[in-house]
Amino acid sequence: MRYKLLAGIAVGIIATLGVAVPAQAISPTTANLYVLHAVPATPVDVWVNGSVLLSNFQPGTLTDAQDLPAGDYTVVITAVGAPITTPVIGPATLTLAANTSYTVVAHLDAGGNPTATLFTNDLSTIPAGQGKLTVRHTAAAPAVDILANGTPAFTNLTNPNEVKANLPVGSISAAVALTGTTTPVIGPADVAIQEGVNTIVYAWGSAEAGNLQLAVQTIGGLHSNPTGVNTGSAGLTADPNPAAIGVGVASLLALMIVGSAATVRARKSRVGA
Amino acid sequence: MNIRMVQGALVLLLLLPVSACASPTAVEDSPTPTPTSVTPPPNSGSVGTQSAALQPVRAAVPPVRVQVPAGGIDVTVEPVGVLADGQMELPANPRVAGWYRYGPDPESDAGGTVIAAHVDSLKYGLGPFSKLKLLSAGTKVQVTTADGVSHSYKIQTTQKILKTQLPIAQLFDRTGAPRLILITCGGQFDNTTLHYSDNIFVTAVPDAP
Repeated sequence: MRYKLLAGIAVGIIATLGVAVPAQAISPTTANLYVLHAVPATPVDVWVNGSVLLSNFQPGTLTDAQDLPAGDYTVVITAVGAPITTPVIGPATLTLAANTSYTVVAHLDAGGNPTATLFTNDLSTIPAGQGKLTVRHTAAAPAVDILANGTPAFTNLTNPNEVKANLPVGSISAAVALTGTTTPVIGPADVAIQEGVNTIVYAWGSAEAGNLQLAVQTIGGLHSNPTGVNTGSAGLTADPNPAAIGVGVASLLALMIVGSAATVRARKSRVGA
Repeated sequence: MNIRMVQGALVLLLLLPVSACASPTAVEDSPTPTPTSVTPPPNSGSVGTQSAALQPVRAAVPPVRVQVPAGGIDVTVEPVGVLADGQMELPANPRVAGWYRYGPDPESDAGGTVIAAHVDSLKYGLGPFSKLKLLSAGTKVQVTTADGVSHSYKIQTTQKILKTQLPIAQLFDRTGAPRLILITCGGQFDNTTLHYSDNIFVTAVPDAP
Protein backbone atom coordinates (compact mmCIF):
# COMPACT_ATOMS: atom_id res chain seq x y z
CA MET A 1 0.00 0.00 0.00
CA ARG A 2 2.70 2.45 1.02
CA TYR A 3 4.97 1.32 -1.81
CA LYS A 4 2.13 1.68 -4.27
CA LEU A 5 1.48 5.17 -2.97
CA LEU A 6 5.13 6.14 -3.26
CA ALA A 7 5.31 4.72 -6.75
CA GLY A 8 2.22 6.68 -7.62
CA ILE A 9 3.77 9.89 -6.32
CA ALA A 10 6.99 9.21 -8.26
CA VAL A 11 5.05 8.67 -11.48
CA GLY A 12 3.07 11.82 -10.71
CA ILE A 13 6.23 13.87 -10.27
CA ILE A 14 7.77 12.52 -13.47
CA ALA A 15 4.57 13.13 -15.40
CA THR A 16 4.33 16.68 -14.06
CA LEU A 17 7.93 17.41 -14.97
CA GLY A 18 7.30 15.97 -18.40
CA VAL A 19 4.55 18.50 -18.94
CA ALA A 20 6.28 21.49 -17.35
CA VAL A 21 9.73 21.23 -18.94
CA PRO A 22 9.89 23.33 -22.12
CA ALA A 23 10.90 21.64 -25.34
CA GLN A 24 14.39 23.10 -25.46
CA ALA A 25 15.34 21.76 -22.04
CA ILE A 26 15.84 18.02 -22.44
CA SER A 27 17.39 16.89 -19.15
CA PRO A 28 20.72 17.15 -17.36
CA THR A 29 21.32 13.44 -17.94
CA THR A 30 19.69 12.61 -21.26
CA ALA A 31 19.85 13.59 -24.93
CA ASN A 32 17.19 13.64 -27.65
CA LEU A 33 17.95 11.61 -30.76
CA TYR A 34 15.93 11.65 -33.97
CA VAL A 35 16.68 9.21 -36.78
CA LEU A 36 16.13 10.22 -40.41
CA HIS A 37 16.37 7.76 -43.28
CA ALA A 38 17.63 9.61 -46.36
CA VAL A 39 19.08 6.86 -48.56
CA PRO A 40 16.74 6.52 -51.58
CA ALA A 41 14.90 3.29 -52.36
CA THR A 42 16.42 1.22 -49.54
CA PRO A 43 14.29 0.17 -46.53
CA VAL A 44 16.58 -0.77 -43.63
CA ASP A 45 16.80 -2.08 -40.10
CA VAL A 46 18.51 0.23 -37.58
CA TRP A 47 20.41 -1.51 -34.78
CA VAL A 48 21.44 0.31 -31.60
CA ASN A 49 23.85 -1.39 -29.20
CA GLY A 50 23.23 -4.74 -30.87
CA SER A 51 19.42 -4.63 -30.89
CA VAL A 52 16.99 -3.65 -33.65
CA LEU A 53 15.51 -0.27 -32.76
CA LEU A 54 13.74 0.28 -36.10
CA SER A 55 12.74 -2.50 -38.46
CA ASN A 56 11.77 -1.95 -42.09
CA PHE A 57 12.53 1.77 -41.72
CA GLN A 58 11.48 3.53 -44.92
CA PRO A 59 13.39 6.23 -46.87
CA GLY A 60 12.00 9.71 -46.22
CA THR A 61 10.88 8.71 -42.71
CA LEU A 62 11.81 10.45 -39.45
CA THR A 63 11.43 9.06 -35.91
CA ASP A 64 10.03 10.94 -32.94
CA ALA A 65 12.63 12.20 -30.47
CA GLN A 66 14.12 9.33 -28.45
CA ASP A 67 15.11 10.40 -24.94
CA LEU A 68 18.37 8.54 -24.23
CA PRO A 69 20.90 8.68 -21.39
CA ALA A 70 23.94 10.68 -22.46
CA GLY A 71 26.79 8.45 -23.62
CA ASP A 72 28.06 6.44 -26.56
CA TYR A 73 25.84 4.29 -28.76
CA THR A 74 26.87 1.87 -31.48
CA VAL A 75 24.67 2.08 -34.55
CA VAL A 76 24.53 -0.42 -37.39
CA ILE A 77 22.23 -0.16 -40.40
CA THR A 78 21.46 -3.31 -42.39
CA ALA A 79 19.13 -4.40 -45.15
CA VAL A 80 15.71 -5.44 -43.79
CA GLY A 81 16.00 -8.84 -42.07
CA ALA A 82 19.76 -9.07 -42.64
CA PRO A 83 22.06 -10.01 -39.74
CA ILE A 84 23.96 -7.30 -37.90
CA THR A 85 27.18 -8.75 -39.33
CA THR A 86 26.34 -7.46 -42.84
CA PRO A 87 26.02 -3.69 -42.33
CA VAL A 88 25.12 -1.25 -45.08
CA ILE A 89 26.28 1.59 -42.82
CA GLY A 90 28.43 1.29 -39.70
CA PRO A 91 29.08 0.13 -37.13
CA ALA A 92 29.40 3.74 -36.04
CA THR A 93 29.67 5.31 -32.61
CA LEU A 94 27.32 8.15 -31.69
CA THR A 95 28.43 10.22 -28.71
CA LEU A 96 25.41 11.96 -27.21
CA ALA A 97 25.88 14.78 -24.70
CA ALA A 98 23.24 15.53 -22.07
CA ASN A 99 20.63 18.23 -22.72
CA THR A 100 21.41 18.19 -26.45
CA SER A 101 19.24 17.37 -29.44
CA TYR A 102 20.64 15.32 -32.32
CA THR A 103 19.48 13.93 -35.63
CA VAL A 104 21.40 10.98 -37.00
CA VAL A 105 20.88 10.82 -40.75
CA ALA A 106 21.47 7.74 -42.88
CA HIS A 107 22.25 9.25 -46.29
CA LEU A 108 24.51 9.21 -49.33
CA ASP A 109 27.83 11.01 -49.30
CA ALA A 110 28.76 13.35 -52.16
CA GLY A 111 30.09 10.35 -54.10
CA GLY A 112 26.90 8.31 -53.68
CA ASN A 113 28.05 5.87 -50.95
CA PRO A 114 25.79 5.20 -47.93
CA THR A 115 26.97 6.87 -44.73
CA ALA A 116 25.61 8.33 -41.49
CA THR A 117 26.04 11.80 -40.04
CA LEU A 118 25.18 13.00 -36.56
CA PHE A 119 23.90 16.58 -36.63
CA THR A 120 23.36 18.70 -33.50
CA ASN A 121 20.03 20.54 -33.58
CA ASP A 122 20.05 24.19 -32.50
CA LEU A 123 17.62 24.60 -29.59
CA SER A 124 18.56 28.20 -28.75
CA THR A 125 15.72 30.62 -28.08
CA ILE A 126 14.53 32.50 -31.15
CA PRO A 127 13.51 36.22 -31.00
CA ALA A 128 9.78 36.99 -31.12
CA GLY A 129 8.40 37.09 -34.65
CA GLN A 130 11.09 34.84 -36.10
CA GLY A 131 11.74 31.22 -36.90
CA LYS A 132 14.96 29.36 -37.64
CA LEU A 133 15.76 27.76 -40.99
CA THR A 134 18.48 25.10 -41.03
CA VAL A 135 19.53 23.53 -44.34
CA ARG A 136 21.54 20.28 -44.40
CA HIS A 137 23.23 18.83 -47.47
CA THR A 138 22.86 15.04 -47.28
CA ALA A 139 22.60 14.31 -51.02
CA ALA A 140 24.89 12.64 -53.54
CA ALA A 141 25.56 15.96 -55.23
CA PRO A 142 28.34 18.57 -55.39
CA ALA A 143 28.28 21.89 -53.54
CA VAL A 144 24.96 23.71 -53.75
CA ASP A 145 23.47 27.16 -53.20
CA ILE A 146 20.16 27.56 -51.39
CA LEU A 147 17.86 30.02 -53.13
CA ALA A 148 15.22 31.86 -51.12
CA ASN A 149 12.58 33.53 -53.30
CA GLY A 150 14.88 33.11 -56.32
CA THR A 151 18.06 34.65 -54.91
CA PRO A 152 20.96 32.82 -53.22
CA ALA A 153 20.55 32.90 -49.43
CA PHE A 154 23.29 30.39 -48.58
CA THR A 155 26.14 29.51 -50.94
CA ASN A 156 28.60 26.67 -51.42
CA LEU A 157 27.01 24.20 -48.98
CA THR A 158 28.69 20.80 -49.19
CA ASN A 159 27.76 17.31 -48.01
CA PRO A 160 27.50 16.65 -44.98
CA ASN A 161 27.26 20.22 -43.68
CA GLU A 162 24.57 22.66 -42.62
CA VAL A 163 23.76 26.37 -42.69
CA LYS A 164 21.16 28.18 -40.63
CA ALA A 165 19.61 31.58 -39.98
CA ASN A 166 16.76 33.19 -38.07
CA LEU A 167 14.17 34.61 -40.47
CA PRO A 168 10.92 36.57 -40.09
CA VAL A 169 7.82 34.40 -39.84
CA GLY A 170 6.26 33.65 -43.22
CA SER A 171 6.62 31.46 -46.25
CA ILE A 172 9.70 31.36 -48.48
CA SER A 173 10.04 29.76 -51.86
CA ALA A 174 13.12 27.59 -51.37
CA ALA A 175 15.16 25.91 -54.09
CA VAL A 176 18.51 24.14 -54.32
CA ALA A 177 20.85 24.86 -57.23
CA LEU A 178 24.38 23.68 -57.96
CA THR A 179 26.80 26.34 -56.68
CA GLY A 180 27.12 29.25 -59.06
CA THR A 181 23.90 28.46 -60.92
CA THR A 182 20.31 29.50 -60.37
CA THR A 183 18.57 26.59 -62.09
CA PRO A 184 16.95 24.54 -59.32
CA VAL A 185 17.88 20.88 -58.95
CA ILE A 186 15.34 20.67 -56.10
CA GLY A 187 12.22 22.82 -55.82
CA PRO A 188 11.24 25.55 -55.67
CA ALA A 189 9.01 24.53 -52.75
CA ASP A 190 7.18 26.70 -50.23
CA VAL A 191 8.77 26.31 -46.80
CA ALA A 192 6.98 27.83 -43.80
CA ILE A 193 9.08 29.77 -41.31
CA GLN A 194 7.08 29.26 -38.11
CA GLU A 195 7.49 31.37 -35.00
CA GLY A 196 9.78 29.78 -32.43
CA VAL A 197 10.33 26.71 -34.60
CA ASN A 198 13.61 25.36 -36.00
CA THR A 199 12.64 24.07 -39.47
CA ILE A 200 15.38 21.74 -40.68
CA VAL A 201 15.37 21.05 -44.41
CA TYR A 202 17.44 18.18 -45.80
CA ALA A 203 18.49 17.97 -49.44
CA TRP A 204 18.78 14.21 -50.06
CA GLY A 205 18.85 11.63 -52.80
CA SER A 206 21.16 11.44 -55.78
CA ALA A 207 21.74 13.93 -58.60
CA GLU A 208 22.92 11.09 -60.84
CA ALA A 209 19.84 8.93 -60.15
CA GLY A 210 17.59 11.97 -60.61
CA ASN A 211 15.87 11.55 -57.22
CA LEU A 212 17.05 14.64 -55.37
CA GLN A 213 14.36 15.79 -52.94
CA LEU A 214 13.64 17.57 -49.65
CA ALA A 215 12.94 16.15 -46.19
CA VAL A 216 11.74 18.38 -43.38
CA GLN A 217 12.06 18.12 -39.60
CA THR A 218 10.62 20.71 -37.23
CA ILE A 219 11.54 21.32 -33.59
CA GLY A 220 9.23 23.77 -31.80
CA GLY A 221 9.05 25.37 -28.38
CA LEU A 222 12.05 27.64 -29.03
CA HIS A 223 9.99 30.88 -28.91
CA SER A 224 10.67 33.75 -26.56
CA ASN A 225 7.80 35.31 -24.60
CA PRO A 226 6.93 38.96 -23.98
CA THR A 227 8.59 40.18 -20.77
CA GLY A 228 5.29 41.42 -19.39
CA VAL A 229 1.83 42.83 -20.03
CA ASN A 230 1.44 46.51 -19.09
CA THR A 231 -2.24 47.18 -19.42
CA GLY A 232 -3.23 50.45 -17.79
CA SER A 233 -2.05 54.02 -17.44
CA ALA A 234 -4.79 56.07 -15.77
CA GLY A 235 -5.45 54.51 -12.37
CA LEU A 236 -9.22 54.72 -12.87
CA THR A 237 -9.91 51.30 -11.39
CA ALA A 238 -7.12 51.04 -8.85
CA ASP A 239 -7.52 49.20 -5.57
CA PRO A 240 -7.22 51.40 -2.46
CA ASN A 241 -3.56 52.04 -1.66
CA PRO A 242 -2.80 51.59 2.07
CA ALA A 243 0.03 54.12 1.86
CA ALA A 244 -2.29 56.62 0.24
CA ILE A 245 -4.88 55.99 2.95
CA GLY A 246 -2.19 56.66 5.56
CA VAL A 247 -1.40 59.98 3.89
CA GLY A 248 -5.12 60.73 3.75
CA VAL A 249 -5.63 60.04 7.45
CA ALA A 250 -2.61 62.16 8.34
CA SER A 251 -3.90 65.03 6.21
CA LEU A 252 -7.32 64.72 7.82
CA LEU A 253 -5.77 64.77 11.29
CA ALA A 254 -3.67 67.77 10.31
CA LEU A 255 -6.76 69.53 8.99
CA MET A 256 -8.64 68.77 12.19
CA ILE A 257 -5.76 70.10 14.31
CA VAL A 258 -5.47 73.22 12.18
CA GLY A 259 -9.25 73.52 12.29
CA SER A 260 -9.48 73.23 16.06
CA ALA A 261 -6.60 75.64 16.48
CA ALA A 262 -8.45 78.06 14.23
CA THR A 263 -11.58 77.55 16.26
CA VAL A 264 -9.65 78.20 19.46
CA ARG A 265 -8.19 81.32 17.86
CA ALA A 266 -11.61 82.38 16.75
CA ARG A 267 -13.00 81.82 20.20
CA LYS A 268 -10.11 83.74 21.66
CA SER A 269 -10.61 86.58 19.27
CA ARG A 270 -14.31 86.53 19.99
CA VAL A 271 -13.46 86.58 23.63
CA GLY A 272 -10.95 89.33 23.05
CA ALA A 273 -13.42 91.26 20.92
CA MET B 1 -1.05 7.62 -20.88
CA ASN B 2 1.63 9.43 -18.84
CA ILE B 3 2.36 6.25 -16.95
CA ARG B 4 2.66 4.34 -20.19
CA MET B 5 5.06 6.97 -21.52
CA VAL B 6 7.18 6.79 -18.39
CA GLN B 7 7.21 3.01 -18.62
CA GLY B 8 8.20 3.23 -22.27
CA ALA B 9 11.04 5.58 -21.40
CA LEU B 10 12.22 3.26 -18.65
CA VAL B 11 12.12 0.28 -21.00
CA LEU B 12 14.16 2.27 -23.50
CA LEU B 13 16.70 3.20 -20.82
CA LEU B 14 17.06 -0.45 -19.86
CA LEU B 15 17.35 -1.61 -23.43
CA LEU B 16 19.90 0.95 -24.50
CA PRO B 17 22.72 0.86 -21.99
CA VAL B 18 25.57 3.27 -22.45
CA SER B 19 28.16 1.68 -24.68
CA ALA B 20 31.56 1.29 -23.14
CA CYS B 21 33.35 2.17 -26.36
CA ALA B 22 34.15 5.88 -26.40
CA SER B 23 34.82 7.90 -29.53
CA PRO B 24 35.04 11.55 -30.67
CA THR B 25 31.91 13.50 -31.51
CA ALA B 26 31.52 12.63 -35.18
CA VAL B 27 30.10 9.40 -36.47
CA GLU B 28 33.03 7.07 -36.96
CA ASP B 29 33.40 3.45 -37.84
CA SER B 30 33.88 1.16 -34.89
CA PRO B 31 36.35 -1.71 -35.24
CA THR B 32 33.94 -4.65 -35.43
CA PRO B 33 30.20 -5.22 -35.42
CA THR B 34 28.77 -6.75 -32.26
CA PRO B 35 27.39 -10.10 -33.37
CA THR B 36 25.78 -11.05 -30.07
CA SER B 37 23.13 -8.87 -28.52
CA VAL B 38 24.04 -7.54 -25.07
CA THR B 39 20.41 -6.79 -24.30
CA PRO B 40 17.08 -8.27 -25.34
CA PRO B 41 15.66 -6.79 -28.58
CA PRO B 42 13.39 -3.81 -27.95
CA ASN B 43 9.84 -3.62 -29.15
CA SER B 44 10.62 -1.79 -32.36
CA GLY B 45 6.95 -0.85 -32.65
CA SER B 46 7.46 1.50 -29.69
CA VAL B 47 9.37 4.08 -31.76
CA GLY B 48 7.01 6.53 -33.43
CA THR B 49 7.85 7.55 -36.99
CA GLN B 50 6.45 10.04 -39.47
CA SER B 51 6.92 11.08 -43.06
CA ALA B 52 9.58 13.75 -43.47
CA ALA B 53 7.90 15.09 -46.61
CA LEU B 54 7.28 18.83 -46.79
CA GLN B 55 3.84 19.44 -45.23
CA PRO B 56 1.67 22.51 -45.66
CA VAL B 57 1.47 24.54 -42.43
CA ARG B 58 -1.90 25.64 -41.09
CA ALA B 59 -2.36 29.41 -41.32
CA ALA B 60 -3.29 31.21 -38.10
CA VAL B 61 -6.95 32.15 -37.62
CA PRO B 62 -6.98 35.50 -35.78
CA PRO B 63 -9.66 36.20 -33.19
CA VAL B 64 -11.58 39.40 -34.01
CA ARG B 65 -14.07 39.77 -31.14
CA VAL B 66 -14.42 38.72 -27.48
CA GLN B 67 -17.79 38.79 -25.74
CA VAL B 68 -18.74 37.99 -22.16
CA PRO B 69 -22.51 38.60 -22.22
CA ALA B 70 -22.96 37.97 -18.48
CA GLY B 71 -20.07 40.31 -17.68
CA GLY B 72 -20.97 43.16 -20.01
CA ILE B 73 -17.79 42.80 -22.08
CA ASP B 74 -17.71 43.14 -25.87
CA VAL B 75 -14.43 44.14 -27.52
CA THR B 76 -12.92 43.92 -30.97
CA VAL B 77 -9.53 42.24 -31.24
CA GLU B 78 -6.45 43.10 -33.31
CA PRO B 79 -3.28 41.02 -33.84
CA VAL B 80 -0.29 42.36 -31.88
CA GLY B 81 3.34 41.39 -31.26
CA VAL B 82 5.94 42.68 -28.86
CA LEU B 83 7.28 46.20 -28.26
CA ALA B 84 10.96 47.14 -28.49
CA ASP B 85 11.22 46.88 -24.69
CA GLY B 86 9.97 43.28 -24.79
CA GLN B 87 6.52 44.00 -23.37
CA MET B 88 3.44 42.66 -25.14
CA GLU B 89 2.12 45.21 -27.66
CA LEU B 90 -1.41 46.51 -26.96
CA PRO B 91 -3.90 48.66 -28.86
CA ALA B 92 -3.97 52.15 -27.29
CA ASN B 93 -7.77 52.12 -26.95
CA PRO B 94 -8.92 49.95 -24.00
CA ARG B 95 -12.05 49.09 -26.03
CA VAL B 96 -9.80 47.18 -28.47
CA ALA B 97 -7.98 44.07 -27.24
CA GLY B 98 -4.74 42.64 -28.67
CA TRP B 99 -4.26 38.98 -29.62
CA TYR B 100 -0.65 37.75 -29.30
CA ARG B 101 -0.24 36.80 -32.94
CA TYR B 102 2.94 34.73 -32.47
CA GLY B 103 1.14 32.28 -30.19
CA PRO B 104 -1.82 29.92 -30.58
CA ASP B 105 -5.23 31.00 -31.90
CA PRO B 106 -8.67 29.56 -31.03
CA GLU B 107 -8.33 26.92 -33.76
CA SER B 108 -4.86 25.70 -32.71
CA ASP B 109 -4.53 22.11 -31.53
CA ALA B 110 -2.74 23.16 -28.37
CA GLY B 111 -1.73 26.05 -26.13
CA GLY B 112 -3.14 29.31 -24.85
CA THR B 113 -4.73 31.99 -27.03
CA VAL B 114 -3.63 35.19 -25.27
CA ILE B 115 -5.84 38.28 -25.57
CA ALA B 116 -5.00 41.37 -23.49
CA ALA B 117 -6.36 44.92 -23.25
CA HIS B 118 -5.57 48.09 -21.34
CA VAL B 119 -7.80 48.42 -18.31
CA ASP B 120 -7.91 52.20 -18.78
CA SER B 121 -6.22 55.14 -20.45
CA LEU B 122 -5.96 58.86 -19.75
CA LYS B 123 -7.24 59.53 -23.28
CA TYR B 124 -10.01 56.93 -23.59
CA GLY B 125 -11.06 56.34 -19.96
CA LEU B 126 -12.04 53.06 -18.35
CA GLY B 127 -12.14 50.00 -20.64
CA PRO B 128 -14.33 46.86 -20.72
CA PHE B 129 -11.54 44.63 -19.36
CA SER B 130 -11.87 46.50 -16.03
CA LYS B 131 -14.72 44.01 -15.48
CA LEU B 132 -12.46 40.95 -15.86
CA LYS B 133 -11.76 40.84 -12.13
CA LEU B 134 -15.48 40.39 -11.44
CA LEU B 135 -15.89 37.31 -13.65
CA SER B 136 -16.45 34.09 -11.72
CA ALA B 137 -15.76 30.46 -12.65
CA GLY B 138 -18.31 29.04 -15.07
CA THR B 139 -18.99 32.35 -16.86
CA LYS B 140 -19.29 31.87 -20.64
CA VAL B 141 -16.96 33.65 -23.08
CA GLN B 142 -17.43 33.81 -26.86
CA VAL B 143 -14.49 34.41 -29.19
CA THR B 144 -15.21 35.06 -32.87
CA THR B 145 -12.40 34.31 -35.32
CA ALA B 146 -11.72 35.95 -38.69
CA ASP B 147 -13.30 32.96 -40.48
CA GLY B 148 -16.63 33.85 -38.81
CA VAL B 149 -16.60 30.89 -36.41
CA SER B 150 -17.73 31.50 -32.83
CA HIS B 151 -15.71 29.63 -30.19
CA SER B 152 -17.29 29.03 -26.78
CA TYR B 153 -15.29 28.99 -23.56
CA LYS B 154 -16.09 28.63 -19.88
CA ILE B 155 -14.05 30.48 -17.27
CA GLN B 156 -12.02 28.28 -14.93
CA THR B 157 -10.19 30.85 -12.85
CA THR B 158 -9.83 34.61 -12.41
CA GLN B 159 -6.55 35.51 -10.75
CA LYS B 160 -4.77 38.65 -9.55
CA ILE B 161 -1.01 38.55 -9.25
CA LEU B 162 1.88 41.01 -8.90
CA LYS B 163 3.14 41.86 -12.40
CA THR B 164 6.62 40.74 -11.38
CA GLN B 165 5.20 37.28 -10.59
CA LEU B 166 3.05 36.86 -13.71
CA PRO B 167 3.55 33.23 -14.91
CA ILE B 168 4.46 34.38 -18.41
CA ALA B 169 5.79 31.06 -19.73
CA GLN B 170 2.62 29.33 -18.54
CA LEU B 171 0.27 31.93 -20.06
CA PHE B 172 2.08 32.07 -23.40
CA ASP B 173 2.61 28.29 -23.51
CA ARG B 174 2.11 26.72 -26.92
CA THR B 175 1.56 23.21 -25.63
CA GLY B 176 -1.08 21.55 -23.50
CA ALA B 177 -4.85 21.62 -23.87
CA PRO B 178 -6.28 24.54 -25.90
CA ARG B 179 -7.37 27.40 -23.67
CA LEU B 180 -8.12 31.13 -23.65
CA ILE B 181 -6.17 33.62 -21.55
CA LEU B 182 -7.55 37.16 -21.03
CA ILE B 183 -5.19 39.65 -19.38
CA THR B 184 -5.45 43.19 -18.09
CA CYS B 185 -4.12 45.28 -15.20
CA GLY B 186 -5.33 45.77 -11.66
CA GLY B 187 -4.22 46.29 -8.11
CA GLN B 188 -2.79 49.58 -6.90
CA PHE B 189 -1.76 52.42 -9.16
CA ASP B 190 1.57 54.18 -9.03
CA ASN B 191 0.99 57.85 -9.90
CA THR B 192 4.68 58.34 -10.67
CA THR B 193 5.25 55.46 -13.12
CA LEU B 194 1.58 55.42 -14.27
CA HIS B 195 1.56 51.62 -13.91
CA TYR B 196 -0.64 49.25 -11.97
CA SER B 197 0.95 46.84 -9.50
CA ASP B 198 -0.85 43.70 -10.67
CA ASN B 199 -2.11 41.76 -13.64
CA ILE B 200 -5.59 40.26 -13.67
CA PHE B 201 -5.85 37.15 -15.82
CA VAL B 202 -8.70 34.87 -16.70
CA THR B 203 -8.19 31.27 -17.83
CA ALA B 204 -11.04 29.72 -19.83
CA VAL B 205 -11.39 26.32 -21.48
CA PRO B 206 -13.38 25.30 -24.57
CA ASP B 207 -17.05 24.70 -23.80
CA ALA B 208 -20.13 23.49 -25.65
CA PRO B 209 -21.76 26.45 -27.46
